[in-house]
Amino acid sequence: MKHIIIASMIGLFPFSIHADMPQTRHTDSATGAKTWETHADGVHFSLTQILPDQAKAFYVNRGFSLEQIESYTSSCVYMTVLRNDSAPGDIHFISNNWSILVKNKSHKLVPVSQWVKRLSSSGAKKSALIAFRWAQFPPEQEYKPGGDWNQGMLSIGLPSGSIFDAIAKWDIAGKAYEAKLVGVQCAK
Amino acid sequence: MGLTALLLVLFNTSHGEGLPPLTHSLTPINTTVKAPELRFQNLDEEMVDIKDMEGKVVVVNFWATWCPPCRREMGSLETLYQATKDKNVEVLAVNIGEDMDTVFSFLGTVEPTPNFQMLFDYDATSMNKWGVKGLPTTYIIKPDGTIAYKAIGGREFDHPDILQKLTQLGLQ
Repeated sequence: MKHIIIASMIGLFPFSIHADMPQTRHTDSATGAKTWETHADGVHFSLTQILPDQAKAFYVNRGFSLEQIESYTSSCVYMTVLRNDSAPGDIHFISNNWSILVKNKSHKLVPVSQWVKRLSSSGAKKSALIAFRWAQFPPEQEYKPGGDWNQGMLSIGLPSGSIFDAIAKWDIAGKAYEAKLVGVQCAK
Repeated sequence: MGLTALLLVLFNTSHGEGLPPLTHSLTPINTTVKAPELRFQNLDEEMVDIKDMEGKVVVVNFWATWCPPCRREMGSLETLYQATKDKNVEVLAVNIGEDMDTVFSFLGTVEPTPNFQMLFDYDATSMNKWGVKGLPTTYIIKPDGTIAYKAIGGREFDHPDILQKLTQLGLQ
């Protein structure tokens, strides 16, 4: 079995009125990367650790030097999936509005546009920057019910080993919804 | 672990296992929206222009080799192409920002091997024009040049529901 379910139902948080399925955590037996996932109001939300060496290999293969991409690959990067399976309408989100909480204190995400600016000023090739930009989880998007989704990288901007809670937020015709993952850990 | 081995692990784990299943939904576009311009070189370095395809149903798929759901759906696009190419349907896969060698190498790993048109948008200029915010994104264009359907994220393009929708559009 490729994925071993090592824990389930670790996130029964009574203050979240929207979580309609318990949070689960899996570990990939090949890489050791952990995935945290949940479903809320018909929306799937998951974060999968991208190990720093995996991220380096990916971006060096796209044309970055190790020096250029180091600050990003060591910034606690996740393969992020958000998917509208059966929400009661079109969901709209701005990923920079999502909340990251470290010991209940808010931590701000670095916008994709800022990462692109930083990498651009490091002298990275245009083709590498295009790959970087479009490999990121979309900064803003709308998904129809029935399976619209994206999978992309999201930098949390925390040191290796940090533990945090992530709250994905979206709206449907102006009404706010959210899905929370608790106790997510940055890869070491 | 070497870079190649790491990449293999990354792509293998991204190839489908543990990821959400691909669906077969297409979102109908209920307003009349003309397809934006699309004119790029193909693998034979010939210019291909969507304008020249009026009268046909055109599937426009934006993708990249490093995008796991794009890789997952590529084989099903070829199955769709084989099932509909004689029914007034064209498939254009627009690669974002990669070179021909990279794409050509990847295509050799896809089963069945894609025979439809691969176009190269080296500067990613089509993304803004088409309103693409994430890869893959696919549009289905009616024979009159307006957008019929949109799909954000990976799909099973060889699903009977999608094949039926495309065939019906081709008959209009």
